[in-house]
Amino acid sequence: MKLGLDAHANLSTPLHRWDPRHKLVALMALIFSFASVRDLRLLPALLAASGALYLASGLPLSFLLSRLRLPGFFLLMIAVILPFLSGRTVLFHIGSLAVREEGCLALLLIAVKFACILTVGTVLFGTTPFLTTVKAMQALGLPCILADMTFFSCRYLYEIGDDLKTMQTAMRLRGFRGRRPGSLSALASLAGTLLVRSYEQSDRVFKAMILRGYGRPASFRDGFQADFRDWAWSAAVVLAAAGLAAAEMLLR
Amino acid sequence: MHIPDGILGAGVCLGGYATAGAAAWWSLRKIGRKANPREGIPKASLLTAAFLVASWIHIPVPPASVHLVLNGLLGVVLGYYAFPAVLIGLFFQAVMFQHGGLTTLGVNATIMGVPAFLAYHLFRLRRIFGKDSLVGTGIFGFLAGAGAVGLAAAAAFIILITTIPAGLDVEAQRASIIALTLAHVPLMVIEGAFTALVALFLHRVKPELLEG
Repeated sequence: MKLGLDAHANLSTPLHRWDPRHKLVALMALIFSFASVRDLRLLPALLAASGALYLASGLPLSFLLSRLRLPGFFLLMIAVILPFLSGRTVLFHIGSLAVREEGCLALLLIAVKFACILTVGTVLFGTTPFLTTVKAMQALGLPCILADMTFFSCRYLYEIGDDLKTMQTAMRLRGFRGRRPGSLSALASLAGTLLVRSYEQSDRVFKAMILRGYGRPASFRDGFQADFRDWAWSAAVVLAAAGLAAAEMLLR
Repeated sequence: MHIPDGILGAGVCLGGYATAGAAAWWSLRKIGRKANPREGIPKASLLTAAFLVASWIHIPVPPASVHLVLNGLLGVVLGYYAFPAVLIGLFFQAVMFQHGGLTTLGVNATIMGVPAFLAYHLFRLRRIFGKDSLVGTGIFGFLAGAGAVGLAAAAAFIILITTIPAGLDVEAQRASIIALTLAHVPLMVIEGAFTALVALFLHRVKPELLEG
């Protein structure tokens, strides 16, 4: 399975060794405290907290930058719209368009929160193998139907992706270019074939799983065990999150 | 239509998680009433992965191309599994491909999952035309696909425009919501046509996939 997300999950830093259940709860609390920030004076604290966590994680900067690239386009779209449409205080003009102060400040707030949340999210999912994180969610109470669906979907996602590539190559070899609106019918058949193949494969997978005892209660524990260091990390991060939320309330 | 992190406040994000949690709970309750609830999991999981992959297909809209949302088709094929499938699909997209976000996962799942569920019920109305009617499958496939993406777009724009943290006046907000939703009408038509074509394909090749 080609999960780019797991590329650095086997390093040995305190964040990598942190119990995944604790890491999930504490970092999600931090992420939500970031989302609650509306006061611009708190933005340096957000940058410092997320930067310090990323440094401690030992993940390479290129890893974070590669993950920032795609959503950056959405941010660019907002950057084009907000300063011109939002607010009343005109800062300066670009041609006939007025750049407004409130829009620029809103953009700054959104951009910093976005970058910090993505950084903490990268630490959360980049320092633990993805499947271990899902097991941690299950240990925290994720219903087994959702957990099983996540495991199976993840297992077959790239396999089905490869199927799609093979079928698209076959279509191109037969002269299909897919550039005209009239090609919608052929593309619908491509998607339909993908669904039919997956459905038929799921039948075989289910029978094989039943033979291996799927559906019976598990006879093993999830294997997570928290020690003093896990609790200490969790307490520190949750306190930081609570501090940010409290500061936001006090500054309002 | 995937709202990224950083735009919505914590209150809206938590509200999104609450509505998504309620919808997921209700779907799981319906699934749990089946004779063997686990039997449908491999099917729903592989189809979830297939939907995620199918949404990577580029649809030509000269001079560019678009990716489809496929939430209507998801409802048509997966029925009560559609909401969990949307939730998992969005989780993968947020974590692996940075589409959407972790804080906005609940909001995005509600925006796309509830219309998927409505599409399932809308598509079931095709039986008015008879169980094996191609006309019914085509018409209700189109309505399910177009309606689901239209509802999702309208919900996303309403949430975005009313919660962006800088003052837009009420008139500007209303005009923006209407303009952005109308701009999605061509996408609704494409999504509806695509859903109808896939439903007709499945009707011919694997009709049991349309049972939901």
